[in-house]
Amino acid sequence: MNKYFYPALAALILTGSAFTFVATSWQIADGYSIGFSSNDAGGVFKTFKGAIAFDEQNPAASKFDVTIDAASINTGNGLQNKHAKSDEWFDVAKYPVIHYTSNKIVKAGSGYQVTGDLEIHGVKKPVTFPFTFQKTAKGGVFTGSFTVNRSDFHVGKPGGDVAEQIKIDISVPVTKQ
Amino acid sequence: MFKKALLLGIVSGLLAGIAGLIYAHLYYSINEADFSKVASSIRIIASSLTGGVLAAIGFTILSKWLKNNGEIVFNLLFSVISFASLLMPIAYKLPTSLETPELFPGMVIPMHFFPALAWFTLKPLFIRHPVA
Repeated sequence: MNKYFYPALAALILTGSAFTFVATSWQIADGYSIGFSSNDAGGVFKTFKGAIAFDEQNPAASKFDVTIDAASINTGNGLQNKHAKSDEWFDVAKYPVIHYTSNKIVKAGSGYQVTGDLEIHGVKKPVTFPFTFQKTAKGGVFTGSFTVNRSDFHVGKPGGDVAEQIKIDISVPVTKQ
Repeated sequence: MFKKALLLGIVSGLLAGIAGLIYAHLYYSINEADFSKVASSIRIIASSLTGGVLAAIGFTILSKWLKNNGEIVFNLLFSVISFASLLMPIAYKLPTSLETPELFPGMVIPMHFFPALAWFTLKPLFIRHPVA
């Protein structure tokens, strides 16, 4: 027997089994909702895309890498939209996307918890938030909610009418790729 | 007096409503911006009619109170109130499911002048003043 056979077999098994730990890839489906709200301002971001790899049984191998088109903000008021896109707030000409990349996903209670880097307005900060995943006939729905301090990301002037704490509500239906 | 003013208010309100509907239809065909969820046909007619009836009440009160100067003050107030009411559509928050909210004021602002325009146009037909 060739002396390389068993090492090669071991390497083959290890390589093959590694693929079993790769989380399932999901495609973002229509009907997603990325909402934000505070005491005064509220609205949605209408364009959201990215790569989602998630396995309920193996959250550690899961990964989120998603972007929001900052210019797709819709507060329901034309003047507010224009103001939100201006350099005082999101400065969409300079920072066209809001980016979130996960670093760690763990099981937490009945749901999960993701830790990652959120980049808004050119400022990157670690953000951790809980989320749930509910299976549906076509795939599943991710739902999560968290709060960010807009001043941490230099969005808008500190103080003023709009609260510092902005609640983000996310609902993302996905289908299997 | 009030009977004539009320009739004028109703007719001018209806006319303003019809003009509003035509304008909304034109606006939609030009801009493809559909705001019928918030500015439905019934709401356009009802708000124009409300404007006409309120104008009739205001006209009657001011004409009785200020006699000959009543109409001057009424015309001025009607125009100023119509103009001030523009703030409403500018500040209005639409449901976020509606696209292009920036086009909403462009549709609604002209409608705010239709009741006054209809009133001033039709008034000589309903309430005539003797020539001095």
